[in-house]
Amino acid sequence: MTDTEPDTDVPPDATAHVCERCGRPFTDETYLALHRGLDHPSTLSTAEREAFDAARSEEEESLQRFRLLALGGLVVLYFGFLMTYAVVT
Amino acid sequence: MVPESRRDRRRWQVPTAVVVLGVMLWLSTAVGRVAAHSGSLRGATRDPVAVPTWLFLLTGGGVVGVSFLLASFVTDRRLVAAIHDWARPLPTPGRIGRGLAGVTGVAILAVTLGVGVAEDATGVRNLAVLVVWVGWWGGYVASTYLLGNSWPALNPFRTVAERLPTLSRSYPERLGAWPSVAGLLLLIWVEVTAPLADDARLLATVIAGYTAVTLVGSVVFGPDRWFGSVDPLARAFRLYGRLAPLGVTDGRLRIRLPGSELPDTRLDDTGDVAFVVTLLFVTTYDGFVATGPWAAGVRAVADAGVPPIVIYFGAYLVGAGLFYLAYRAAARAGRAGAETYLSAGELARRFAPSLLPIAAGYHLAHNLGSVLVLAPTFVAVAAAPLSPPPSPPQLAGLPGWFGGLEFAFVLLGHLLAVWVAHATAYELFPSRLQAVRSQYGVTAVMVCYTMLSLWIVAEPYVAPPFIAS
Repeated sequence: MTDTEPDTDVPPDATAHVCERCGRPFTDETYLALHRGLDHPSTLSTAEREAFDAARSEEEESLQRFRLLALGGLVVLYFGFLMTYAVVT
Repeated sequence: MVPESRRDRRRWQVPTAVVVLGVMLWLSTAVGRVAAHSGSLRGATRDPVAVPTWLFLLTGGGVVGVSFLLASFVTDRRLVAAIHDWARPLPTPGRIGRGLAGVTGVAILAVTLGVGVAEDATGVRNLAVLVVWVGWWGGYVASTYLLGNSWPALNPFRTVAERLPTLSRSYPERLGAWPSVAGLLLLIWVEVTAPLADDARLLATVIAGYTAVTLVGSVVFGPDRWFGSVDPLARAFRLYGRLAPLGVTDGRLRIRLPGSELPDTRLDDTGDVAFVVTLLFVTTYDGFVATGPWAAGVRAVADAGVPPIVIYFGAYLVGAGLFYLAYRAAARAGRAGAETYLSAGELARRFAPSLLPIAAGYHLAHNLGSVLVLAPTFVAVAAAPLSPPPSPPQLAGLPGWFGGLEFAFVLLGHLLAVWVAHATAYELFPSRLQAVRSQYGVTAVMVCYTMLSLWIVAEPYVAPPFIAS
């Protein structure tokens, strides 16, 4: 996906999860698992494939939570504006 | 089992995207109507129901926020990538076409300079003024983001520079793109403060000065380096060209969806980021100095004994600095939100291209009206540049819905910007939740910028005091 190396900045006291294929550091093991599956899909070992699938379903769950929150935000914004317009104009 | 459920997901992802697009369009027309109300406040009588300014601003900001939330519902990586990878090759214009464009560019520059010096007529009766402000600044600049960047072929300064010998001095690399930021600030400063739309001789002098600097620069550093790093016009058109539906990738002319190149755009350095932010800032400054609060503020400070030009220049530099700092802060907020080791500079570089559609939207909204009104003038004066008609024809006026169209351009620019930021974030981060969180900063900046710009547009025009234009 990225043909040039992105510029990274790891704090000295942090433990980074570094991709052994391209050297990109990640803050979390699941991000690294997702990155391997998305950017180096052809060279995955079975364990890495399993880690990717697990990370993927975890990501899907958090996305569902985010979707609910976003929907709530939309509803609040919609009715907020509706009420404001009703009162003001 | 797993592929099964993935296929299911994709099946409803595509309808979701269609619904999201539909809602965005509906929102944009709704706000277009609201905006038209507020825009016609100046006309006062046409529209009895007017929305108070604060609600108008809040609505504009709300639309940008809502479009960010809606874009975040499109979570299929393959769909996002498919939209951005769509492209079809086109026949490439040959060397003859390029040569013709170069000759045309030089001819137009020569005529503009010649008429500017020789003809006494001022304002829109002078062909030089019309070529620069209507033909080039209004029309041609719009073509660079609506069609494609043809400046490398047309650029008369480059055509001449390439025929001159070059010293090929090495360019100081640490300067990066910063000289073009300074150049852009200088050009727009001259544009705002000097009566370049009235005084054709002054305009010709400025063009001659720009020509001289450009030619000397490209003789010293070589045309590729000069137009690649220093020249602000070439950089602005190159960036706008990334937004356009026509563009050259891998040596072939291709047609693509507008803005689809932007998530892949890698800016050179922090100077390039500052350049994009400055493009936005100069539009804002241009409008801001024509508002009532600014006029009142300048008069108050000038009464205290500060020379007006210092106030203008001070506000200009401070404003440009604040815009850049606000954007850097947004990039840092994005880095903190996304839990990533990508540097704040990398995020600033990758998200900056998503601001370009906003700049283009404002440019179109500001200039399309005057280009249309003055198009008949252009034709009449171009027919007899040295004896222009005493009162050349203009369009009598634009229909009432035109104001709504202008707001629609601004809004479309913002919606495209939100989408480009979304696609960029998907390119950058392995986790889609990281991608969403990384956009908080840049979305906040876009919401604030929308509200500021809408405020400027809704303020009645007040001629900037103390300066000529």
